[in-house]
Order: sequence, then C-alpha cells, then structure tokens
Amino acid sequence: MVAVKLIPLLFSWFGIVLVLLRGFSGRRVPVAATGVVGFALGVVGAFALLRSYPGELSFGIVRGVVAGVFLLLWGTAVAALYRNTMREFHVFQGEKLVNASFYAVIFTCTTSIIAGAVCTCRLPVTGGTILALLLLVLAAGILVLAALAAEKMLPASLTVSQPALMAAVVALLLFSASSLIRLDLFSPLSMKVMKFAHDFVHQFFESMLIPDHLFIRTYLWGYIGLLFGNGVGFWGGMIIWFTPVVLILLSIRFELLPSVAHIRQGAKRRKLLAAAIRERRIRLVIPLLALLVFAAAAYRSSYPSVEYWDPTPVPVLASPAGEIVIPKQGEINLEDGKLHKYLYKQGGKEARFFVLLNPSGEFTVDLDACAICKPDGYGQAEGTVICYYCKTLIPLETVGKPGGCNPVPVPFTVKADGVHIDALTMINTWGNTVQATARIKEGGK
Amino acid sequence: MQRRRWLLQLVLRALAHRKGRTALLLTVLAMASSLATALGIVSYSMEKRVAEEVRKYGANLIVIPESARLDVGSGGLNFGVVSEPAYLQQRQVEDALTKSGLKAERSYHLRGVLHWKDADLMVEGVNFADIRRLFPWWQLKGTWPMAGETVVGSDLATRLKLKAGDTLELVGKAQTVKLRISGIVSSGGEEDGLLFLALPELQQALGLDGQLTLVRLMVTAGGDSLKKSAFALQSLLPTAKVNEVRQTARTSEGLLAKVKLLMFMVTAVVLVSAGSSVAGTMSTTVLERGKEIGLMKAMGGTRWEVMLIFCGEAVVLGVLGGVAGYLFGTVISQFITKTVFSSSAELIPWFAGISLGVSLFLALLGSVGPMIAVFKLDPVRSLRGE
Amino acid sequence: MAPAIIETNGLTRSYGDICALKPLDLQVPEGEWLSVMGHSGSGKSTFMNLVGGLDRPTAGSLKVGGEDLLMLSEDGLARFRREFVGIIFQQHHLVPYLTAVENVMLAQYFHSVPDEAEARSALERVGLGHRLKNRPGELSGGEQQRVCIARAIINSPKLLLGDEPTGNLDHKSTVMVMELLKELRAEERFTVIMVTHNQEVATWGDRTIYLDDGVLVREERMRS
Repeated sequence: MVAVKLIPLLFSWFGIVLVLLRGFSGRRVPVAATGVVGFALGVVGAFALLRSYPGELSFGIVRGVVAGVFLLLWGTAVAALYRNTMREFHVFQGEKLVNASFYAVIFTCTTSIIAGAVCTCRLPVTGGTILALLLLVLAAGILVLAALAAEKMLPASLTVSQPALMAAVVALLLFSASSLIRLDLFSPLSMKVMKFAHDFVHQFFESMLIPDHLFIRTYLWGYIGLLFGNGVGFWGGMIIWFTPVVLILLSIRFELLPSVAHIRQGAKRRKLLAAAIRERRIRLVIPLLALLVFAAAAYRSSYPSVEYWDPTPVPVLASPAGEIVIPKQGEINLEDGKLHKYLYKQGGKEARFFVLLNPSGEFTVDLDACAICKPDGYGQAEGTVICYYCKTLIPLETVGKPGGCNPVPVPFTVKADGVHIDALTMINTWGNTVQATARIKEGGK
Repeated sequence: MQRRRWLLQLVLRALAHRKGRTALLLTVLAMASSLATALGIVSYSMEKRVAEEVRKYGANLIVIPESARLDVGSGGLNFGVVSEPAYLQQRQVEDALTKSGLKAERSYHLRGVLHWKDADLMVEGVNFADIRRLFPWWQLKGTWPMAGETVVGSDLATRLKLKAGDTLELVGKAQTVKLRISGIVSSGGEEDGLLFLALPELQQALGLDGQLTLVRLMVTAGGDSLKKSAFALQSLLPTAKVNEVRQTARTSEGLLAKVKLLMFMVTAVVLVSAGSSVAGTMSTTVLERGKEIGLMKAMGGTRWEVMLIFCGEAVVLGVLGGVAGYLFGTVISQFITKTVFSSSAELIPWFAGISLGVSLFLALLGSVGPMIAVFKLDPVRSLRGE
Repeated sequence: MAPAIIETNGLTRSYGDICALKPLDLQVPEGEWLSVMGHSGSGKSTFMNLVGGLDRPTAGSLKVGGEDLLMLSEDGLARFRREFVGIIFQQHHLVPYLTAVENVMLAQYFHSVPDEAEARSALERVGLGHRLKNRPGELSGGEQQRVCIARAIINSPKLLLGDEPTGNLDHKSTVMVMELLKELRAEERFTVIMVTHNQEVATWGDRTIYLDDGVLVREERMRS
C-alpha cells in the first residue's frame, strides 16, 4: 500500500535524475553518485527530523525548503529573461557559481536531499521502519542506474539549458510534494492570494477609498465582488505558479541567434542560422514538459487523492437533565484518535459537533464549524483535520484551541462513563458562531 | 520564424494563383460550415425558446385533494379507481392563496361524470377566461362558449359524432343541463377526450357547490423559489396536496427532437457532399501541380516538408472558410428565425469555434487522399511529365 | 589530379526488363566540367538522376562527395540534394506563381532559411537585377534559364547538374547561358555535369563522354 503511494514520487525522482544527467552531461558519474548519496542523506535527515520533532514542525521545515526552491526558480527565471533580452548583463553573481566545476555536484546533492526528504515524509510516520528506509534508498539507487541507461537513449540533440534544468527539477519536486497534503504548496498559495485580495479590498473599504455610496453603480459592485470570490485565489495562485516556467520559455525564445555576419558564403550562413533556430526550439522541450508537470502538480493539489475520514454525524439526544452523554466505549470507540461527528437537535435548532482524542491523549469537543468560514465542516487526514471550505489544515495537536479556522471548542467534562456536554451550551455556541459567520459572509457579498 | 512566414507567403501565393479553384473550395467550405453553424444556432435558440415557453406557459404547481390519486405523467384522475372522490373547497384555496401572497395565475377545475344517452361522459368545469390565458396552445374550432354553451374535445367529438351547433342534454346528480356546442377544442393532450363547460354550471349539475378537484397555478418564478412557494402553500392547505409539475409541452419537445434530427441529417448530407467535393478538387489540384511537387522534391524538400506546404494550403482554406461560414451562418440563422419563428436569434460567439472546426475538419479530411499522393510522388517521373 | 567527387562502380539502373544504364565505371574529379552526350534513350538522363540523388541504382556502387548514396534513406537523399546538388532543367521548372526572387528563395527555404537580400544579389549576379519581381511567364527563355541557374547555385552546391539546359534556347541565349555558367564555375569552383545532345555545347566542357544504349562508348578530352 505504501509502495503504491510512493510510485509517483519515485517516478519523479527518476525524471529528476534523468534531467540532471542530461543537464550536466559532462559529469554523468559524479552526478549519479551524488544523487544516490544525497537521496540517502535526505531520507536519513528527514527520518531523524520526523522522529525528534513529530508533528507539524518537521513537515513545516520540509515544506519551507520546497517553497524556497520554488522561490529560487522565480529568481532564476527572472534572471534568465533579463539576461537574454539585454546583452550587457555580466555582473550576475550566480553566474560564477553556475560555471564552477563543483556546481553540478552541489546542485545534484541539494536536489536529491530534498527528493529523499519528500519521499520519507510520504512514509507513514510511526511505521517508517529502518527496513522501509533501506528499501526506499535501494529503489532510488536502482532508479538512478535505470536513468543512466535511459539517458543514453534520449536523442543527442535534446539539450537542457540551466534555467530549463532548474524548471524541470523544481516542477518534479513540487509534483512529489503535491502528493502529500502537508507538503503541498499550490493550495496554501491560492489560499494566501485569496486572503490577501480579501484583506486588500477590506482595507480600501476601511479607508473609504471605495465610497460606500449610492453613486456606485451595481455593476461596479459586481466587479468588487469578484475580488471576494474563490476564483481570485485560484487564478492568482495559477499565475504565481506558472509564471517562472513561462518566463524561462520566453527567455529561451528571446535568446539571440549567433552572429553569422562574418561568414561570407550565404549557404553556410543560412545553415548555421537554421541549425541555431532548431536548437533553440529543442531547448524549449524540457521547459514545456516542466509546464505540464506544474499543471499536474496543481491538479493534484486541487483534487488530492487523500481520502478524508469523514463519518456521517450520529444523532444524539440529551438526558432529561439537559446533558449530552457520549460513552467512551460501545458502538463507537471514542479513544481511537479519530474524528467522531454527532448531531444534536432541539426543537427547530440543531448543532453539529465532533469529539476527538488528540495525540496528547486528551479529549476535545468542538463544533463542526469554525468562527470564520461557512460551516462546511471538517475531515481528518494524516495527523490533521482540514476545513472543507477553505482547505486549511489544522494539526491535531491544536484542535481544541480556539481562533482562526480552528474548530470552535465547546466546554465539556470527562467522566468515567463518557464525555458529558451541556446541551443548551452546545446549541447556543452553534447558534452564535454560525449565525455570526453567515452574517459576515452575506455582508461580504 | 522567417521560415514560417515564408511558408504562409508561399501558400497564399499558390492559392491566389488558382483563383477560380480557391474560390470554389472556399465557397464549398463556407457553405458547409455556414449551414452547420446556422442549423446549430437555430436549433440551439429554438431549444432555449421552447424551454422558456414551457416555463412561461402552463401550470407549474397543482393543488389536489389529499386522498385523490394523481398520475402527472399520464395525466389526470382516474375516476374508475377513486371510489370516493375527494374535493377541494374553492373558498379555502382562495384564502390560502391570498394569505401566502403568491403571485400566481390560477385556474380552477372540477371533473365529474355526466350522463348522456346511456353513456357516461367525463366533463370538466372550468373558467374559460382562465383557460384562454393559461393554455394559449389550445386550438379551438368555433367560438369560446357563452353561458349555456360547451366545447368538446376533438377526440370525443369524433367518437360521438358531435359538431358545433349541436345541443346536448346532460344528466347530473343534482340537475340536468342543456348545452349547445359552440366549438371543438384540441390541445394534443388528454383534454381532447373531455367535454368542457363553465365551472358554476357543472358545480350545480353535480350538486358540488364550491368544490373543486384540481387547481392549476402558474407561479412566475423559477428554480428554488418554486419549491418554496409549493412549501408555503402546502402549509396553508393541510387537507390538500401541492405538487410541482414539470408541465413539459411534450408535443413541442417531440417536434423539436424531430426537427433537430432532420437538421442533423441535412447537415450530415451536406458535410459528406462538401467533403467529397473538397477531396475531388484537391486531388485535381495536386495532379495538376505534379511538376511543382517534383521540383520541390528535386530541390531537396523532404516528403514531409512538401506535404506540409500542401497541408498549409488546406489549413488556410479551412480557416478562411470557417470565418466566412460563421458570418454567413449567423446571417442565415437570423433569416430563418425571423421568417419561421418570427423572432431574432441571438449572436452566439462560441459557434465561431464550431464553424471553424467544421471547415478545418472538412478541408483536412478532403486533403488526406491528395496528401498521400503528394507524399508518394516520384520526382523523376513527375518532372519528365508522366 | 584532384580527388574524385563522383565514383561509380558497376552502376546499373534497369526498369523491369529494360536496362537504362548498363554497368558503368566512372570517376569525375572535383572541379571538372563533364559533358554527357548521346541521343534520347541512351541513358544520359538516367545517369544524371542517379548522380543527383533523384533516383536509386538497381546495382553497383555510387559515391558522390564521399557519401554512399545507396546507404541514404529517402529523407537522407533529400538532405543530400539540397546541400550538395544544384539542378538546371531543360524545361526550367520554375514555380509559375512565384516571382524570380521567390523562386530562388524557395530553394533557400528547403535548404535552411529564406534570405531575400541574398536571393536578390544572386539574381543580380546572373544579370537579372531588373527583373526581380517578374513571374516566369513574363520572362524570356534565356532569362528563365538564368533564374534557374541562380536558383541552382544559391545553396553553394558542390555539384551542378544540367539536363539539356540550352535545349529550348536559341543560339544567342545558349552562348549567354554557357558563358555565365563558365564564369560562375570559375568563382565557385563547383563540378559540372551537363547532359546534352548538342555537340557545340559539349565543347564547353573539359571532357565529354558518349553514352549509347546505356553503355559508355567513347570518351573525349577537350584541349583548351
């Protein structure tokens, strides 16, 4: 089962090695060796990290590294475009590094450490045994050998420029990361963009730059409303996501052709020109493929294959004393660390809530809704719960603490027979929270 | 890029050289794609219009007594089954409607059986004014009835050999009524088998003053709010059942389907014939230009490169034909909708994609055979003029 | 003596039972002007097509410019033609809807990229600077043939093939075309193989071979 989950990651590892070998075609053997070593280092490092700091922190670190790599791609893309559109550009510090002989090894090492770390994060945290790690490294090693063989079969004319190499490697790393909901970048990115747009417009309202006045026509409100839609986050995220590769494509497209004016014979001159144009076109292939991989990563991030644990709410009744009692054992085992949803109805009102035993061994009772979003509820996946509305991940450790998009906690007491909750408090909390969010949402639109 | 621009120039020169043939091909492609576009636009806007009209006319809510059986799909009550017919109180329904504040056109119906010459006739009491407003598709031969008159459904009239001007004496539970037939009505639905008379007259004849079997409502609202209206009304009428009806004008939908099928077939025939004429013209062109092709190959063009030039010609023709086809097709569709449906079709920009696609597809499909010929052509023999 | 640009060994081409070219052994040194004579059906056009990579031999070996033409694929032959060979036909075979410049540019297009300035200067070189924008229909036979020459040499071929290039021309134009070819050859140093049945045209060459019924019957070296 775990092996199946790792297949896309190993596949992209294979792609990474392939493109690295082609990118540093002069140093095939050092690159391959560094790749294996780096991967192993990444696996061990991530394993140690996950063991010593279980929970969000270590995932956050890995995700930060991946995000850093993405930012680096942005830098590379801008630099490449700048360099290829303006000829006088020699003071680029990174150029020295790129031309250095050890650059290939450093680049490969960094890449494979990240790839290894991402693969290790995909292993189940508690079940990641030494044996599994060894198998993972072994598989990576075999794939490196396979890539060595496969690289020879690629057409010799397929060359990779340094920015294209960067684009392809980052694309594949992001693709690997997108298979893990906690390492994924695209969804948080579009979320950030959405919140930014939201805050931005809000600021404008506050500062009265957009007068809340009858003079403003309704269609104008329509446009302003667009900024609040989910679309803004998605499209904004898309732009940020794809721009670097598009820039790299443009930079290759704008590359100047070699100067052929000094060649006297027309036929030779034209032939050189044609060859240069063809080569330039071939150099576009790898970034175009990278663009596809980026799209695949965005797709996987938007439609994650992760299955959420999302039980249907069990209707419960209150005792005559106005208390909801949920037994610890019985039909539902409360202490299995999973989310258990309940539905309580009183008169025409109802409240949805869940009970969860968090990793530190304490119960928490929360509404199936937060103070911010529409009450779409939560699902549980791999040590987090996710808000279905805004796709925010909330680590299990922090469930039960109020604030943000966390589920709204409800006071309760644990007794020997089970969890006791005051029915009236439950209904009132739900009423206050959900009505408040509903009002905000309507007002926003 | 220069290569690409040169290719385009070459293609345009070649097309301009054979003006007559290019014009012919363009006409064929434009005709085919414009026809496809026009029929597409017409059927699209027709469909929309029918959907709109279905929404506009016809009841969308019906109120029936709680215990009555109603089979909406096949229409109406079956008096043979319901042994104890249940009724709605007209007053109650009116009150409920006022209270709910619904803006709804309404028509009241009472169905019953009257005896005529040893036979039981199914009759319906209605307000003819409401009927004319709510069911504009009823076709009447004769005049709408005055007091003491009746209209007969066309099926029933044929069966009983009744015609306008005849007088019927109908025996009810309470009274006997004497009615003159003022017209024959046909709607294409179950109404064709019924006899219609004014609601109060039937209520008196049956001794059911103020009672109804059915109320049809036309609420001017769509989607969700219809459900809400139904719900609101239901809560005010506990003894009745309020149902939503998709009063689909089955006849017009069936007609639409047939017209669409016809259009589809016409389009298919046109496309096939256009495709074959494109193929024919293209192959004569290629035959004529054998020497040119041989020359290009002799100069060092690979088979693919030479084929690309001819494909380029097909693509340029296809694009031009598609654009012309869209413009032309829009005009045709306007004309059709104006003359046939006396309304103007809307401009649908995305149909440009369809006409472009049709035209390109035809141009490329028609060129497949000639392209193979171009690919295979032997330069030595063609240059010798064989 | 210069190294051979064309080397044939038992070169044979038969169409079914008819043998158009009997086994032929021939060497053409680089830079030579070879005239091939014989009446129609003697196999001289077949020979030219084989050397120009337009046709494939049925037997024997054929090396042109160090390239074994038998080993080349269909597209490989096309690449060979565009980079190595320029052909002038008796019928001119200019594309009727393209102007003189564009006809030259067509050859550039198949070779690499079209370059209008270069095509213009090539036409100026053959003395057609004033007829750049004319279509073939508006040019005389001699002018058309000069466009063909410009087109044939535009890609700097090593080998120029002429298939009765003066067959349709009057005496004055013939002399003009031949003079032009001679001048260009002096500058560009290409090898010329010219098929003709005109004894006078053949004398422009360094060497003449006579084909009859597909067999090399006689060889003659010009003194000049």
